[in-house]
Amino acid sequence: MLLAGGQGSRLGVLTSQVAKPAVSFGGKYRIIDFVLSNCANSGISTVGVLTQYRPYLLHAYLGTGEAWNLDERDGGVAILPPYATQTGGSWYAGTADAITQNIGFLEGQDPEYILILSGDQLYRMDYEDMLATHKANNADLTVAVMPVPWEDASRFGIMNCDDEGRILEFVEKPKEPKSNLASMGIYIFTADLLIKTLKEDAEDPNSSHDFGGDIIPKLLADNKRLYTYQFKAYWRDVGTVASFHEANMELLGEEPAFDLYAKDAPIMSNSSTRPPAFIGPKGSVDDSLIDNGCTILGTVEHSVISADVFVGKNAVVKDSILFPGARVEEGAVVINAIMAERSVVEAGAAFGSNDKDTVTLGDDAVVKKGE
Amino acid sequence: MPKAIGLITTNYSTAAKDDVFSGRPVASMPYLGRYRLVDFALSNMVNAGIRNVGMIFPVNYRSLVDHLGSGKDWDLDRKNGGLFIMPGTAFGTSRTGARFLIRDLVQNREFFVKNHERYVVLASGNFVANVDVKKLVAAHQASGAAVTVLTKTARKADLDVVRFDVEDGRVKGMGQGVEFGDTAFLDYAVIERELLLERLDAYAAIDHLDFFEALSADFDHCLVMTADFDGYAAPIFDKASYFASNIDLLDLDVLSELTPEDRPIKTKAHDNPPAKYEPGAKVSNSLVSSGDRIYGAVDGCVLGRDVIVEAGASVRNAILMQGVVVKTGAKIENAIIDKNNVVPAGTELRGTDGDILYLKKN
Repeated sequence: MLLAGGQGSRLGVLTSQVAKPAVSFGGKYRIIDFVLSNCANSGISTVGVLTQYRPYLLHAYLGTGEAWNLDERDGGVAILPPYATQTGGSWYAGTADAITQNIGFLEGQDPEYILILSGDQLYRMDYEDMLATHKANNADLTVAVMPVPWEDASRFGIMNCDDEGRILEFVEKPKEPKSNLASMGIYIFTADLLIKTLKEDAEDPNSSHDFGGDIIPKLLADNKRLYTYQFKAYWRDVGTVASFHEANMELLGEEPAFDLYAKDAPIMSNSSTRPPAFIGPKGSVDDSLIDNGCTILGTVEHSVISADVFVGKNAVVKDSILFPGARVEEGAVVINAIMAERSVVEAGAAFGSNDKDTVTLGDDAVVKKGE
Repeated sequence: MPKAIGLITTNYSTAAKDDVFSGRPVASMPYLGRYRLVDFALSNMVNAGIRNVGMIFPVNYRSLVDHLGSGKDWDLDRKNGGLFIMPGTAFGTSRTGARFLIRDLVQNREFFVKNHERYVVLASGNFVANVDVKKLVAAHQASGAAVTVLTKTARKADLDVVRFDVEDGRVKGMGQGVEFGDTAFLDYAVIERELLLERLDAYAAIDHLDFFEALSADFDHCLVMTADFDGYAAPIFDKASYFASNIDLLDLDVLSELTPEDRPIKTKAHDNPPAKYEPGAKVSNSLVSSGDRIYGAVDGCVLGRDVIVEAGASVRNAILMQGVVVKTGAKIENAIIDKNNVVPAGTELRGTDGDILYLKKN
């Protein structure tokens, strides 16, 4: 069950038109590609995607799930937006509530285990391995955790465990952390227990229907078997403009922190077929990712460029991220910026600088000369 | 949507004539980095709304089947219609000149019988062009011709292209090979399905001929009209034309005309990451496909998918097909490097403008 309904309001104009999981990433992808590819690469063939905020692009992008080999006859991708019943309907009020409202879907599938995922994180994980840990521990719930620097631990939900990895205590953003194992928001539940717990939680008027805030504390109080699964590879939650920019930049360089080229677990995406990128006679590209369909007549340095981007003659793009269809016209300068889909920096105009925070330009927005 | 079915021939018409084709049918030659030649004929038909396309296959069809699959990437995985793969004939003398061999059509007569659309659009897999097939069918309907052939005035001599002798738009005769200024056949034609069936029956005894060759005996009473094509069209029959037309696409106007967003050329989808340009890479005047990693210098090239050019290597005026690795210090100029070749460190591979070096598939 993939939670993809969040707005991602801290990404500002980048999510004014699209849900956060549908935001472009890495020149060719949308953020949700990483989790969907993990599912496909882990052999999971049934994925319910819970959508809510501005879902059009996300729904269109998911399609039948075919791009991630998830178009199976039994199972595949099921898109699960909020819906109405005889007694009315309501928006998803929290992460747990979103699952509760789709217990019917879960009961129809009748799984033994349920994996809860977020559609807005970047990492490569074999969920099969996490499930094996869950089974080996005979656990009721397994939470994926990641060691974070101690000084950052007070920004995360922290799991305090015993030597076997059994969770003793969960503290959201502790002032004085006793552990540096942060919850990644990735859960494997034994299905019957999850459904029973969600039904009880739904009846509780004091609950905010959140996995971290309500469900985990309740299971701990009931003395259930909660275990951690330690993950040590690359993981990013791209919640803010700064972290989004940084995660994109981490794809660059000769030894990038996250390797898009790893063959054993490819990141799949639903991209259209466009011709190869054209680098013009005076074009210059250094330390960058550039997708198909681009026309680069100017200079691109240390940037991530998505499909169908145009960079005109004598234009400069540096330390920036350009989404599909963005245009940087002749002589324009774009530095330390994120340009969303089809946005334009007109001829001779300037956008962004290295002295200030990363600037963002929304879908279809235009920067004119002198602005 | 025109009431038409499509037929693409990839049998003898696209047989290997030159070492550059390495035993592949020309139709499945990699082209423009990430495409194969057959993508043009297929996409042109699909972009006109045709959802029922038959393809006559050559004997060496492995690469074509691998590429086409169920036809999904061209929206040809239909419940009704879709992509029909049909066997070409494999007997008799192979005639590389015959694009629409009668016995290939006769053997697959069933395809023309069971589909009830009014027109058949014919195409070979040898031409690179973005053809508005809808417009071609409309021209056919407007002129009242029995057959309409797509033509263009030849800009240079080419022995492999068919010539039509034309008077006021009506075809009076034909021959093999064009000179500058001749009317060249682009291997796209429209014919009524019923007429095609009738002609196939009539020509059964001369099935070793090309359909248009046989039809030429009837030009005086069968109205064959030309429709002029004013866009970029390149016939691909040998190494020189294959190389030249790839390099033509380094002109942005030609590239945009061939791959417009409203009539896109579709191809098999791959999950390649974007191309990665490492610190110090020097790339100019080139087409770079997804999955490529460039550390060295590239100028005037067309690169297929998953190509690696290492630091200190330089590649100029060349086509590198999918999976080629150019090791450090290697130098390549005026060359076609076929799929999956590893060019060792320090190697120099140089052809000339007149004689392009070809390194066959590894």
